[in-house]
Amino acid sequence: MHRTHCGIVPPHLLTRLAALQDPRLSAASRAARHALLELQPVHRIRADALRAPVRRGSAVVGTLARRIHDAGGREELPGTAVRPEGGPVTGDAAADEAYDGLGATYRLFSEEYGRSSIDGAGKRLDATVHYGSDYDNAFWDGERMVFGDGDGEIFGRFTASLTVISHELTHGFTQYSTNLEYQGQSGALNESLSDVFGVLVEQRELGQDAAAAPWLIGAGIFTEDVQGVALRSLKAPGTAYDDDVLGRDPQPATMADYVRTTSDNGGVHINSGIPNHAFYRAATALGGEAWKAAGSIWYDAVLSGDIPSDCDFPTFARATVRAADKRFGSGSREVGAVAEAWAQVGVVP
Amino acid sequence: MRIEITRSGGFGGLTRTWSLEVSASEAEQRWLPLAAEAEPGPAPEPAPEPGPAPGEEPTASGGSGAHRDRFTYRITIGYTEVLVPEERLEEPWRELIDRARAAPVPGPPAPSPGDSGPGTDSKQQASDGPGAGGQESPRKLL
Repeated sequence: MHRTHCGIVPPHLLTRLAALQDPRLSAASRAARHALLELQPVHRIRADALRAPVRRGSAVVGTLARRIHDAGGREELPGTAVRPEGGPVTGDAAADEAYDGLGATYRLFSEEYGRSSIDGAGKRLDATVHYGSDYDNAFWDGERMVFGDGDGEIFGRFTASLTVISHELTHGFTQYSTNLEYQGQSGALNESLSDVFGVLVEQRELGQDAAAAPWLIGAGIFTEDVQGVALRSLKAPGTAYDDDVLGRDPQPATMADYVRTTSDNGGVHINSGIPNHAFYRAATALGGEAWKAAGSIWYDAVLSGDIPSDCDFPTFARATVRAADKRFGSGSREVGAVAEAWAQVGVVP
Repeated sequence: MRIEITRSGGFGGLTRTWSLEVSASEAEQRWLPLAAEAEPGPAPEPAPEPGPAPGEEPTASGGSGAHRDRFTYRITIGYTEVLVPEERLEEPWRELIDRARAAPVPGPPAPSPGDSGPGTDSKQQASDGPGAGGQESPRKLL
């Protein structure tokens, strides 16, 4: 049955009540737990997000917990557990790449932005590798990341690129923060956040500054038969591949080339090129390590409360300018760089 | 009768199209009834406007639940179209898709109507993502 939450107590308050330990309030706590169960999943997710502690400026200690499963070539989840947190290297490339990639993503959010895991509360990170047969995809199912091995003709295994792993895990972060709807412009922003934090994880691991980084998503997962370097480029959207079978990378870099389509949930993987390129412009204008100033601004914007789940590009752009203003001060070069970056892609904040 | 299957979305956002010929009786007895049971084809969605679109209502046709980066299959049987998210793809459709992927690639497919302009609300929005359609070659079959 599908219930709609229409109680007067807001979900975040229910969540707090439900967690109370005080025996004098046990009845209220029990009632709140009951009410929470009737919330729609999306409300519950947002309630979790609101409850999540936001800590900035200092690293969160020791709550990284991962668990890798192996689906053994079947399309069944979760598969067999092969590596728990702290477990030995398995020798299976996909399982070990997933384990390491989750760790790298966790470290970016924890050490740079002070967030403990995707939900801000230390949630365990689950992934399944070897999903399906010749399976050409990686996805987030609301609970875990899932990686295919590719068909061997166009795609190799999807864990081979750290940016694929960090992209998928960032879908979890978005789910627990803004929960951007996966359709049209909000869906393209959802995709873009996964690409932006996806490349930042890799840049930080490799110690690449904004000028030196390749700004590619999925480099190394095409086989050598494909004419292409990666699936997407934040630096030059539309140039990642140009192949006789796959066609050309369809991503636009600016609003002038915005693609209207009913495919792909309204082009969520296509028009994400526009906010992707805005981030690239802001990060390269500021220079240095992109996960520092530019990454912090985007992260602050996501957690600012200024991003509705049906957010469009201009609303998101305004939130980033406001976040830059808050963190670096009005009239700062950071505010100027962010506003100019959006202007360059044709989005008026 | 020709059945065309277009797969969009996925991590890469690559759109692929496969097709196969089935007899009229197979289409009428097996696939059209299945399509009639499935949810209706692509609802005419308000095309996202470039630029601010205040008050634009989110459509219900978005990705189902919390799944991200999954494929969406658009199956066209004659004038009937169904849209099936990968996570809700049941066995008969899987068989059809496997057959289409294994089918020999025919000559250049008939040009599909591209995205219609704003205001079009017919079911003919068989829009392929850019980069799709008309460029299949026998080199590889995904």
